[in-house]
Amino acid sequence: MGTFWRGILKGAMGPRENDSRYLLDVHSRDLPGEATMARYRDDDEVDLVIVGAGAGGSVLAQRLARRGWRVVIVEAGPFWHPDEDWVSDEAGSHPLYWTQKRIIGGADPIELGKNNSGRGVGGSMVHYAGYTPRFHPSDLSTYTDDGVGADWPIHYEDLRPHYEQVEAELPVAGQDWPWGYPHRYPFAPHPVSAAADRLREGALRCGIEMRVGPVGIVNGTFGNRPHCIYRGYCLQGCKVNAKASPYVTHLPDALAHGVEVRANCMALRVEIAQDTGLARGVVYTTESDGAHRLQRARYVAVAGYSIETPRLLLASVSTRFPHGLCNNADQVGRYIMVQGATQAAGRWPDELRMYKAPPPEISSEQFYETDPDRGFARGFSIQTVSPLPIGWAEHVLADGHWGRALREYMRDYNHWATIGVLNELLPHADNRITLADEADQYGQPVARMDYTLGDNDKANMAYSTKVIIDILDAAEAQDVLTIQRFAHLIGGARMGSSPDHSVVDANQRTWAVPNLFIADGSVCPTQGSANPALTIMALASRLAQQMAGGAAMNNTSRKCSYAV
Amino acid sequence: MPDLSRPDHLPNRRPDRQPRHPSWLPRQRRGTTPQMIGRYPDYDVLDAVDTWDEATKKVVLARLEPPGPLRFFTPDEEPVLRALCDTALAQDCQPRIPVAEMVDGKLADGKLDGYQYADMPDDPDTWRLVLGGLDHTAVQSYQTGFARCGAAQREAIVAQFAKGRLVGGAWDELNVTRAWSVVMRMMLAAFYSHPWAWNEIGFGGPAYPRGFMRLGGAGKQGAQVREPFEKPGATSEDPVQIVESWER
Repeated sequence: MGTFWRGILKGAMGPRENDSRYLLDVHSRDLPGEATMARYRDDDEVDLVIVGAGAGGSVLAQRLARRGWRVVIVEAGPFWHPDEDWVSDEAGSHPLYWTQKRIIGGADPIELGKNNSGRGVGGSMVHYAGYTPRFHPSDLSTYTDDGVGADWPIHYEDLRPHYEQVEAELPVAGQDWPWGYPHRYPFAPHPVSAAADRLREGALRCGIEMRVGPVGIVNGTFGNRPHCIYRGYCLQGCKVNAKASPYVTHLPDALAHGVEVRANCMALRVEIAQDTGLARGVVYTTESDGAHRLQRARYVAVAGYSIETPRLLLASVSTRFPHGLCNNADQVGRYIMVQGATQAAGRWPDELRMYKAPPPEISSEQFYETDPDRGFARGFSIQTVSPLPIGWAEHVLADGHWGRALREYMRDYNHWATIGVLNELLPHADNRITLADEADQYGQPVARMDYTLGDNDKANMAYSTKVIIDILDAAEAQDVLTIQRFAHLIGGARMGSSPDHSVVDANQRTWAVPNLFIADGSVCPTQGSANPALTIMALASRLAQQMAGGAAMNNTSRKCSYAV
Repeated sequence: MPDLSRPDHLPNRRPDRQPRHPSWLPRQRRGTTPQMIGRYPDYDVLDAVDTWDEATKKVVLARLEPPGPLRFFTPDEEPVLRALCDTALAQDCQPRIPVAEMVDGKLADGKLDGYQYADMPDDPDTWRLVLGGLDHTAVQSYQTGFARCGAAQREAIVAQFAKGRLVGGAWDELNVTRAWSVVMRMMLAAFYSHPWAWNEIGFGGPAYPRGFMRLGGAGKQGAQVREPFEKPGATSEDPVQIVESWER
């Protein structure tokens, strides 16, 4: 399609084979179809059981249900009723986060909870900011190009059609995108707020190009999903249905095609048949009676994300897998990654009121790729953000203020605007998920996450912090406050071309168990400096294509001989 | 009232890096703020309560209920807890946001953040150790409990806590820098979830289903554009002169 027609049709085109936008109710935010949802018995061998109803699991379920697969999703958290359960309030949004205990260690422990972990139907996309950039083609070959990280066993072209399909389903709004693989978005960019406008001005003066978007937030209307109302609570769950999450983009269609979402069910282990070595299903426990049940299935897909997926595999111990399922080569839980997410806030004479408009507004990927002059491999992206009062208080605290000084900075809230970076931090084998000595209320060992930055990571973070402070200076900010933090999770069960160095193959099938797949962000060998949500969905979409067509189950197509 | 378009009131921009005494701020005329000071004397976020959805209204208005007795902390710990909350958040007179009760409620209900540092006890134990540590340091330095120290003495101890420099007693069981982050973040999450604090800082509050229309980007007025319900911050201009200028 030419530029002319794309321009004319922008905002008017919907995706094929996904009716979620029409299935939603205009007047109620509940997931339609919950009451009439298909129900399968535990001993009924369904085609696929998925662990986790988040970005990966929901897309996989929706796609395969459309191909006639009988699918059950087992989800640890609740089935949301957003009108009653979600609030326009920071502190009141605590139930959206994974707040079950985890241990954090290493030299640079990563804060979890509200920062990066979701729980409940819809997963952490329920409370992600809304940024939906693609990975760049270079992310898939960092080892070949720069000698760092790892190469993916797939190519950008394998993902590209799925990026386009998911962008149409969310739908993504943004300006034409010049970075990475240049592309356009199905919806026009959102208006720019006073705070983001000030930051863009500074960036332009530094010679840094910034573009509006890309965000998975409706600009216009989309089926029965209304226009964004710019109330600023993206990170607290969108009560409007304007922001995309699987809850509104894929689960309505999945339920309409016979998927069962079994909420409040914590998966405890993947059950392996001792004779065949195949997965028989998933053992889970319900919050109501605490009994252990086995949902039988022909295929199993784990989509619990970078901490819970390794935790479930490591806890699935058997005589075939004494160190945890798929872990005979000691790869499960390794190479977990986060992104550096330093934020700097600037102060201006007028009231900018950054709480208005979505927190994600404009971004730049000008520094995304390796530049030898910078003295480190790979790069970072720049994005505007808008903390609400509690987030702003943590920002002020991180700059060393408390008591009267903190109250003074807090009272100045309306004069500030915030800009952040996402650094590509490299995968390291020792950054990993293991099982701690403690157990949770189900008797399941809790996860421990160890994380330590490398020298390249530190150099990248230091450089990027200077860039955003330069932007604030160029925009004539009167004062600057910075906070060093981390965001996002990815990796932990990576894909590769050899069972000695990865957990799954190019089709996300585990090397060790022929009917077990991993369908979430833990399969990513590298992370780029893009927010991961869109890529997790695109990978799940591709996985569904490979499973439905049978290519994913084909042993001869594996790049390496099959080994346990 | 100084010129608020200038940053001279901000601690990092002041020669001693200390804030002014809050007496420079206007008294709140509408609604309530902690200590009745703030920058938006005619703004009350609760004026908009009729535009909030029911679920949000219930959660936010519950914070205005009179706080109940402590459930997690013991009567012995209570004075130290209150002294810490008052000092760390500069709440030196009424009306106070009941931060001690809000923190206590979270710990009693086990509403934790979902992670524990490998070199630290869990959050409830961290709180107990911190309160014990504050008493230990107060006795060492001033020969009396933390709660009976004067304001300046408490501030001196908390300043050392913020820098991670406290040692001895319960502090030796903690990574002090991390303990500071654990207790401060819980106190801040309580304080800035309260509508009185939103009044003090001029935050728009919950905005569903109403939303915001005037984002302040491109447009004739730029960042100066205001929603009809937003009140501008207090300025240094003399209101008598402004009214006279209208009449001229």
